[in-house]
Amino acid sequence: MMEKIKQLLKHPMTLIFGLLIVGIFIWDNLYPIREFSDMENRALTKKPAFSVKSLMAEGDQSYTMKYEKYVNDQFVLRDQWISLKSRSEFLLGKTENNGVIYGKDHYMFEKYFSTDEERLGKNTAFVKEFGDKYADQTTVSAMLIPYSYEALEDKVPAGLAFVDQVARTKEIYGELEKSGIKTLDIFPTMSEHRDEYIYYRTDHHWTTQGAYYAYRQFCESRGRKPVELSQLTGHEVKDFYGTFFSKSKAFNTVPDVISYYDFSTGKIVIDGKETEGLYAMEKFDERDKYGAFLHGNNGLTVLRSGEVDRPGDGSRILVVKDSFGNCFTPFLLRNYDEVWVVDLRYLKEEMSAIMSENHFDDVLILYGFVSFDSYPSVSKITY
Amino acid sequence: MVFSSLLFLFRFLPIAFLIYYIVPKKLKNLSLLLLSLFFYSWGEPRYFPIMLATILVNYLAALGIEKFAEKKALRRAFFLIAVFFSLGMLFFFKYTNFFIENLNGLLRLSIGTLELTLPLGISFYTFQTMSYTIDVFRGKVKAEHNIIDLGAFVVLFPQLIAGPIVLYTDINEALKNRKINLAQIEDGVKTFILGLGKKVLIANNIGALWTEVEKIGFANVSSPLAWLGILAFSLQIFFDFSGYSTMAIGLGKMLGFEFPENFNYPYIARSITDFWRRWHMTLSAWFREYVYIPLGGNRKGKARMYFNLFVVWACTGFWHGANWNFIFWGLFFFVFLAVEKAGFSKFLDKHRIFSHVYVLFLLLMSWSLFAITDLTQLGTFFMRMFSFTVGADWLYYLRNYAVTIVIACVLSTPLIPRLFEKVNIGWLKNTVYVLILLLSVAYLVDATYNPFLYFRF
Repeated sequence: MMEKIKQLLKHPMTLIFGLLIVGIFIWDNLYPIREFSDMENRALTKKPAFSVKSLMAEGDQSYTMKYEKYVNDQFVLRDQWISLKSRSEFLLGKTENNGVIYGKDHYMFEKYFSTDEERLGKNTAFVKEFGDKYADQTTVSAMLIPYSYEALEDKVPAGLAFVDQVARTKEIYGELEKSGIKTLDIFPTMSEHRDEYIYYRTDHHWTTQGAYYAYRQFCESRGRKPVELSQLTGHEVKDFYGTFFSKSKAFNTVPDVISYYDFSTGKIVIDGKETEGLYAMEKFDERDKYGAFLHGNNGLTVLRSGEVDRPGDGSRILVVKDSFGNCFTPFLLRNYDEVWVVDLRYLKEEMSAIMSENHFDDVLILYGFVSFDSYPSVSKITY
Repeated sequence: MVFSSLLFLFRFLPIAFLIYYIVPKKLKNLSLLLLSLFFYSWGEPRYFPIMLATILVNYLAALGIEKFAEKKALRRAFFLIAVFFSLGMLFFFKYTNFFIENLNGLLRLSIGTLELTLPLGISFYTFQTMSYTIDVFRGKVKAEHNIIDLGAFVVLFPQLIAGPIVLYTDINEALKNRKINLAQIEDGVKTFILGLGKKVLIANNIGALWTEVEKIGFANVSSPLAWLGILAFSLQIFFDFSGYSTMAIGLGKMLGFEFPENFNYPYIARSITDFWRRWHMTLSAWFREYVYIPLGGNRKGKARMYFNLFVVWACTGFWHGANWNFIFWGLFFFVFLAVEKAGFSKFLDKHRIFSHVYVLFLLLMSWSLFAITDLTQLGTFFMRMFSFTVGADWLYYLRNYAVTIVIACVLSTPLIPRLFEKVNIGWLKNTVYVLILLLSVAYLVDATYNPFLYFRF
């Protein structure tokens, strides 16, 4: 036995390699299953159940594919291995990982090089249909929010063929206007404030600051007086790691700061349930901090202004939005008595019912450009 | 299952080696056969019977050839059955759709194509198995009476999927009688790690650039980016392919086999002839042994020699993929091999720098032909390469990939390996191996891009 060990010690690579593969094999099987990766902000694959049927299934559904995914997702020290790769990539001078590009001042950008023309055309048509139906009853406005690379041009590496959001937005607006919809080109506004903290470095959303400038522009277009930020009490939450970080997992990421403001509110009802406050405060302590705004994405949210600050004219606005709207809508509480917020992805009611049962002084359709280019749920605006 | 996966490294390998090393000598080939069959069936369990049939048909055919040594016609019949079966399987799975599509195009028919996935490694194991039956037929080697030993050769997992193409005569003695010793295992582990690094750290990394160029679209790239892209592909295919071969050779050593080398710094070749003595050596050797020489080689006059070369290179091209571009790719080499044979090689011998430029330029052209299966797209790509449109797109990619490209280029030459050989400090060398291994694992855990280039083969 001693002789054998002595022999093995003379062959260190065999020893190291053997210990590594056997060790990780055993450790992997003892290691508790992780349900969710905070770092990657996604659910991890668990051990698939074996059946003859799943063994013979095709492609992604096959047992062997699922099993391989499970081995990868539950690999010991997964996050540490990922961080090791990120460091090595840094040494190699790489400026991107997993479709996320590293720009100046620690800003990250997603590679968004082509649009889904069919989807974009359909979604434009859906919103037009909505305009044709309601633009003579109420004022319908639309706002497409460009992703950060457009306004923060000077932080983006040169030579990349990004989608020209400004030009594409102009085309879409041209169509919408034909259906009586007022369009809001916010690119000049964002560009004007590009030296301020208007977009997150590590996330695809705009910051509350960025949303505020768009809010001002909307108010002015509707002849309402925007609230000044100096009149509001703000709070900051540090260490926000957004979706771009979840994809790139860069070890040298500089986390973002999320800010939110206090508003006095009346009754808040989310999908039929009365809820406390505009923000899910516990979310600010978790990984997905942006999810705190409006308690995340919900089908129908009805916000009422508090007695102190409300205009008191019985005014009501409907905002049809994606997640970009979540940090935007609170500001509207200073200008409308009621703010109705619809996320078509989760909406259970029919739009036509909401429109016929309530009177809205304003309707605002607000989407991030990339969502508008990809969400099939926009069709529900015509239901 | 592919070697460059966590599943293979941390599930299959530990279990396979523990079983293989523990079982007594008598059972080693049986354990190899069963483990290899499991490895083969993992991705496509439905093809398990095909592998069994391949083993059985060749086993019985060789026994028949041996038994009827005196009856020429019967002997020949057994041989032809095995060859038709092997080639038939290959043609059915790999080439049926190609012929249907061409027939449709030519005769304006509309025969439906088949929904087939290629059985793992069929191009490789078909050639390996055929070498056995052909050699038995030619009397070069005796028929194997033990079906377990033959089965272990046919489906041996290290060389099953992407070469090297191991002939039966390369390992028939080792199959019967091999000593597994620690020195060989140690050598195998090191070889395997180098291969893993080639594939995971270099090929995958640089291959992402070519994929990027494909995504942007050939019509939209600037000339510098087109050249950068095809350079990246050339490096990717070399490191991918030779990485696989190196891993296979390493695994072979760990099991007690010595497989033939498959690559010998092909990109430092000084002629196309020289390149093919260094690139995928076991494939060229196979075609020489089983096609070129039986056709008469160069012993039947000049004209016949060029014809034989033509046949071999059309076949070589077609073997790489069921598409016209692969046939043109093979014939592209035929043209330059013929030119060199006709006397150009003497000129190349005398002009050192020119010969390198000549080879590298032709290789970049040949890899374009190889990488782009759609001929219209290929035309667009060549237009881009030679239209000299200067854009800004290449700046970003050059900055992003410069270090990787330089590393890959340097490692395509023997420079670093020779330096490494001269170093005599054991622990330093082992640290390098450990580093490559750990980094490879890290890149596999966060694998955003880990393609398998050989699904076509």
